[in-house]
Amino acid sequence: MQRYIIKRFLLMIPTLLGVAVLVFVLMRVVPGDIVELRYTLEGTAVSDELLAQERARLGLDKPVVEQFATWMWGIVRFDFGKSMWTDNPVKDEIALRLQLSLQVAIMATIFATLLSIPLGILAALKQDTWVDYAIRVFSIAGLAMPSFWLGILIILGLLIFFRWLPPMFYTPFWVNPWENMSQLIWPALAVGYRYSAVATRMTRSSMLEVLREDYVRTARAKGLWENMVIVRHAMKNAILPVITVLGLEFAFLVGGLVVTEQVFNLNGLGMLFVESVARRDYTMTQALVVLVGFTFILVNFAIDIMYAWFDPRIRYG
Amino acid sequence: MKSRMITGFTRSAAAVSAGLLVLALVMAPAAMAAEQPKAGGILTFAVAAEPPGYDLHQETSFAALHPVAPHYSLLIKFNQWKYPEIEGDVAESWDVSKDGLTYTFKIRKGIKFHDGSVLTAKDVKATYDKIIFPPEGVRSARKASYAMVKSVEAPDDQTVVFHLKWPAASFLANLASPWNPIYKADILAKDPHWYEKHINGTGPFVFVEHVKGSHWVGKKNENYFMKGRPYLDGFRAIFIRDTSARVASVRGGRALIEFRGFSPAARDDLVRALGPQITVQESPWLCVLTVALNTQKKPFDDERVRRALSLAIDRWGGSAHLSQISILKAVGGIMRPGYDAYAATEEELVQLPGFSKNIDASRKEARKLLKEAGYPNGFAFTFKNRDVKEPYEIMGVWLIDQWRQIGVTANHVVQETAAFSKDRKSGNFEATMDWACDFMDEPDLQLFKYVSSSKSPIDYSKYDNPKLDELYEKQSRTTDPKARRKIVREFEKIVLTEAYTFPTIWWQKINPHWTKVHGWHQLPSHYLNQDLRDVWLGA
Repeated sequence: MQRYIIKRFLLMIPTLLGVAVLVFVLMRVVPGDIVELRYTLEGTAVSDELLAQERARLGLDKPVVEQFATWMWGIVRFDFGKSMWTDNPVKDEIALRLQLSLQVAIMATIFATLLSIPLGILAALKQDTWVDYAIRVFSIAGLAMPSFWLGILIILGLLIFFRWLPPMFYTPFWVNPWENMSQLIWPALAVGYRYSAVATRMTRSSMLEVLREDYVRTARAKGLWENMVIVRHAMKNAILPVITVLGLEFAFLVGGLVVTEQVFNLNGLGMLFVESVARRDYTMTQALVVLVGFTFILVNFAIDIMYAWFDPRIRYG
Repeated sequence: MKSRMITGFTRSAAAVSAGLLVLALVMAPAAMAAEQPKAGGILTFAVAAEPPGYDLHQETSFAALHPVAPHYSLLIKFNQWKYPEIEGDVAESWDVSKDGLTYTFKIRKGIKFHDGSVLTAKDVKATYDKIIFPPEGVRSARKASYAMVKSVEAPDDQTVVFHLKWPAASFLANLASPWNPIYKADILAKDPHWYEKHINGTGPFVFVEHVKGSHWVGKKNENYFMKGRPYLDGFRAIFIRDTSARVASVRGGRALIEFRGFSPAARDDLVRALGPQITVQESPWLCVLTVALNTQKKPFDDERVRRALSLAIDRWGGSAHLSQISILKAVGGIMRPGYDAYAATEEELVQLPGFSKNIDASRKEARKLLKEAGYPNGFAFTFKNRDVKEPYEIMGVWLIDQWRQIGVTANHVVQETAAFSKDRKSGNFEATMDWACDFMDEPDLQLFKYVSSSKSPIDYSKYDNPKLDELYEKQSRTTDPKARRKIVREFEKIVLTEAYTFPTIWWQKINPHWTKVHGWHQLPSHYLNQDLRDVWLGA
């Protein structure tokens, strides 16, 4: 098991390196100039001299290879540099948004897990009954409905029926839990619904498959209590693909909630990501891609470990 | 300037058509000024973006100005009730020498910075030295506007003197620029970059916090030099990027106002939902969409072709229709329509190419010009635009239809803003959408876009005409308004005839806000009147 973990861990390094190279190249290929955007977008007659001065300050006048080497040297020392747009350290800008993004992702994951696993199992156990149909309709609606659209509906509903809108700026949970939850519960529900729909479908189909296995029939034939059969024998095996789905969705939520963040005005990583790309803030975008890449790799790593824990065939294979 | 105030909408009247604005009251600014202010309360307002930095001398976006301006004072400022009249801010009076080369300002006594130190003429001098003669490595975005200044002196603590190289018509108004907050000399001497990340002004509000990407908070400056001001206990600017979320924030009362402006649809939504709780201020905005044609590419090297494209545009008809769905409304030349001092009157305007109310005659002339230029069956070209619906894409789609009427086919290429900006700046286009937004009505600012591209970094058409440069210089140095107006008219006629860059339709500034917000009077620019000194909250 230990060897397995070390092997998986070491594989993370070349993957992250590949992500870093790719994002650096892609950002340079896409046309656009942060300096022009910052100084000329609103029509101000800023001199070419000032623009050149600013490019030089940001190091954009240096050869691309030199820019890459500087950036990589920074990464090695865990120094992601400063945002080209705000001139603040990238790590500070990310840390500020990470707590909000993580909280929404965790809340949505809890909501999705609590909803999807019982519903998926229930649908499988009651296959082709009205219970199954109702759960399938509920989950298909969740899949068909984009989270941001549901978010807009929630906002409109709150505005029209309650003449109330969630807070428009983030208050950390430990500062004011009520204010924090009244802002974040809505996006967590909007995102969690779609998330739960994916997991419900996966749980149902996985359970259906497992319930037909010989060992389940054997367990029942032995006269085991039905709940024991489901929890100990069926669910433990059916849960593997569900864990994968939940894990990947969680990683996606950390940096990918762009439109939902816009709708609820959440100061999260998704918004920062899009704004950084739109502004051609190279340092910020590169750091964010590496961070999101790292999150995905880490989650995958955790999933692999959990697989090994759930299924001994994997760790001894 | 008059601003339209709309109050007291009933839900049903708004439902029939908010556009009718039947309950609109035209209120004189003086009447608004006469309201009895109430102290207390926090003003929350939405800002569509957040400031990249805090130093307004180098920033160019309203996103920096809206949260930062309340912390600072200016030397002089525009009077919000009598725009474009100028009033003193830290200056209590000023005097201009007869030859127009010396401006002497007397600074009020007892003004304190937020750190407790006293403001003197030395601070004003240091501020303007930084703007006009920035030290190596210090960025000053509007340095060129002060090219006429020879030196700035502070002979004593209460006197600042500007010596000019030549008399300049725009100089005083340029000193009222909202981008010129007064900084502390000692701080600038130690570190001219300090203000990029810190706040220390003499304005009505003291800086409390800026949570990146989220909000900005200021509290009342108890030592503000104007007794009894500000009225508010503080303000909170909330950064909300998404347009619909900004509208929702006002509708839900999370923000009481957004100072830049909303679309007619958003205005109508808010009026419908909130009725008399919402007041709408509207007036022509000091922003215009223009079309720039690359004169170094065929067929736009031919003046006849360029003029034909301008002639094909039915600006008057477009105004009537587009204003229903967008902020595009006022028809004007190169100066903002409604600015009596220098803008063309309607009578003058209809005489200019592209502004006739007889669109059939204009298009007939356009076809004739195309035929003379060797394009009797029209031609095709690519029109680049930025990926922002309101008002850019709306205008782009409409323009293509206008050009189609004279047999010209434009391929509308909508680009992401960063790529668009790069292409516009580098000249990688045949025709492109362009725009201008300024902080004040002033020919020096509005005409600069049309000066030869070798002199103006914002003339993207790559067009040079020394005659225009000469006229620009001449009007800039003509201090007699009548004589200056004449030169501006001459300049405008050449621009619209040669049509390398031409205005389409000017924007309408629409500010719906909660009726309880008082003391803020809409001015033609979203850069002006942001210090919140006179704002107060009613019941």
